[in-house]
Amino acid sequence: MGRARLNRVLAVAANTFRESVRERVLYNLVFFAVVLTVSSLVLKELSLRQDEKIVKDVGLAAMDFFGTLIAVFIGVGLVSKEIERRSLYPLLAKPLSRDEFFVGKFLGLAFTLLVNTAVMTAGLAVTLLATGRAFDPGLLKGIIPIYLGLMLTVAIALFFSTVTSTTLAAVGTLCLCIAGRYSDILLHMKADMGAAGGLVQFLYYVLPNFRNFDLKSQVVYGDPVAWSIVGQIGGYALVYTAVVMIAGALAFRARDFV
Amino acid sequence: MRESALHLAGLTKSYAYGFLHRRRRVVLRSIDLNVPRGGIFGYLGPNGSGKTTTLKIVMGLLRADSGTALVLGCPLTDPAWRARTGYLPEHPYLYDYLTAAEYLDYVGRLFSLPAAVRRERALRLLKLVGLENAQHQALRRFSKGMVQRVGIAQALMNDPELVLLDEPMSGLDPLGRRLVRDLILDLKAAGKTVIFSTHILGDAEALCDEVAVLRGGELLKSGRLGDILKIDMAYMELLVSDIDGAALDGDVRARQPVGERWRLEVAAAALGTVIGSVERAGGRVLSVLPIRQSLEEYFLQAMGSEGQHWAAHD
Repeated sequence: MGRARLNRVLAVAANTFRESVRERVLYNLVFFAVVLTVSSLVLKELSLRQDEKIVKDVGLAAMDFFGTLIAVFIGVGLVSKEIERRSLYPLLAKPLSRDEFFVGKFLGLAFTLLVNTAVMTAGLAVTLLATGRAFDPGLLKGIIPIYLGLMLTVAIALFFSTVTSTTLAAVGTLCLCIAGRYSDILLHMKADMGAAGGLVQFLYYVLPNFRNFDLKSQVVYGDPVAWSIVGQIGGYALVYTAVVMIAGALAFRARDFV
Repeated sequence: MRESALHLAGLTKSYAYGFLHRRRRVVLRSIDLNVPRGGIFGYLGPNGSGKTTTLKIVMGLLRADSGTALVLGCPLTDPAWRARTGYLPEHPYLYDYLTAAEYLDYVGRLFSLPAAVRRERALRLLKLVGLENAQHQALRRFSKGMVQRVGIAQALMNDPELVLLDEPMSGLDPLGRRLVRDLILDLKAAGKTVIFSTHILGDAEALCDEVAVLRGGELLKSGRLGDILKIDMAYMELLVSDIDGAALDGDVRARQPVGERWRLEVAAAALGTVIGSVERAGGRVLSVLPIRQSLEEYFLQAMGSEGQHWAAHD
C-alpha cells in the first residue's frame, strides 16, 4: 500500500471515528454499559460468596451486548447513510478509490469500538476495585474475543450497508448476529430435518459462529483458557472478516450512485 | 485546435426498470462532446435531460453502458486526473457533525496536502465564498445556500485545472449567485476550465464561452454561443430616451417602454430615418444593436412544448 493510499484510508478512518464519537447513540450505549457494570455491585449482595463472579459476568455481558448494538447501529449507517444523503459524492470524485473509502470506514468504526471496549474494561476494573478485588488479567482472554466478534459484526453491518438501506441493513445484521449465536441449534436440528439436513449443515458452516467468541463463562469461573485458543479465535475472525469485507468491497465497487 | 479539458465519445447510459428489470430507459444517447481548455462551458438542458447523469459518469459515480470519456487527456480509469479536477455535485449534502473548516481539512487530506497548506487553503477558500466567520460552526447549522458555498470551496481545495459544477447557483440568494458568477469568471481569468450545468439560461448567457444543449438525453447542439444564437442583421434594436416612443412615426416594427426609455425594433434600411425622427423630437439614442436571438428564444424554438414549460419555470 503506497503512502498516499494509506493516508487516504486513514483520513476516512479518522473522519469515521470523529463521526462515531459525535453520535449521541454511542454515548447512550456506553453510559448504559457502564451503569449496568456498576449496578452489579447491587446484584452481588443477592448472591453468596459469588460477588466477584457476578461483577465479572455482568461486566463482560454488558461489554458484549452494548458493543454489538454499537457495531450494528453505527455500522449499518456507515455507507448507506453516505449514499442516501449523497455525502460521499464529492469524496469519490477525489483521488479516493471506493476500496479505500470502504476500508477506511471499517477501520474508523473498529477503532471506535476499541476505545469503547477499553472504556468498558476500565469501568469493569473500577467496579472490581470497589469490591476490593484487583482486575484479573485473565479476563482479557474473554475481552479480546468479544472485540474480535465485534469486528466481524462491523464487517457484516458494512456489507449490508453497501447493498441495502440503513433499516434493512440493521435488520439483516441483527438477524445474522442472533442466528450466529444460536447456530448450535442448527446442528441439533440436522438429525430431524431428513433430506434438508444437508442444507442445515451447510448453513451451520456458512453462518458466522458467534459462539466461538464467547469465552465469558470460562474466564469468569476460572477455567483454564490457553492463549492459543484466543489465537485460533483471532484467526477465525480474521478470515471471516476478510471474506465479508471483500464481498462488501466488490458490491460497493459495482454500485451506481443514481 | 486547443487541447480538450473533457472529451466524450458515444457516451450512453440506461437504467433497468419494470418487472425483473427487463426493460431499460435510456437517459443518455451517444453523447459526443469536446470541451476546450481555458474557458467557461455551459451544459444546458431542462430538468431530466441528462446533465447530472453525464457529470456523474465523468466523476465515476455512474458507469456508462458504452462510450469513452477523457478528462484532461486521461481515461476515466486513470486516477491521475482526479487530483487536477474539482467537482460540486447537485444539491450537495455535507457532514452534519463537522465544521466547515474540519470538512475542508478532511478533503485536503484526501489530496495528501500537508497540514499547513490545508489550513491556509481552507481559510482562503472560506473567505472567497464569504464564510470566514462561520468556519467553526457545525455544518448542520448552515442554510442551504451556505452548504452550497462550502460545496464550491471543497471543489477548489486542490487548486484544480478543471472544475465541474452541477447546478452551482442552486439554492443561492441573489448575493450568492453574484458571488458564484464572479468566482467562475475569476477561475477563467486564472486559466482554469469551468464546466457547469444549469437550467437557468441567464446564467449561461452571462458567463459561457461555449455551451452544449441537451434534450431528453440527446445532444441538441454544442458550440460558441454566438454561433448557436442567430443574429438577425435585417433588423436593429434601438434604445432611446427623452421621447414618447408611441408617438414616433416611420418604419418601427415593434416598440416597448422600458422604464423611462423605449426599446424600438426597426428595419436596417430605415435606421437612419428613425434616428433622425428621434433626434428631431428632442430624444436621445442610447444604443443600436443588431437583433440577436436570446438563449431563451433559441430554447423555445428548439424544444417545442418542453421549451415552453422550461421557460415558464425559469
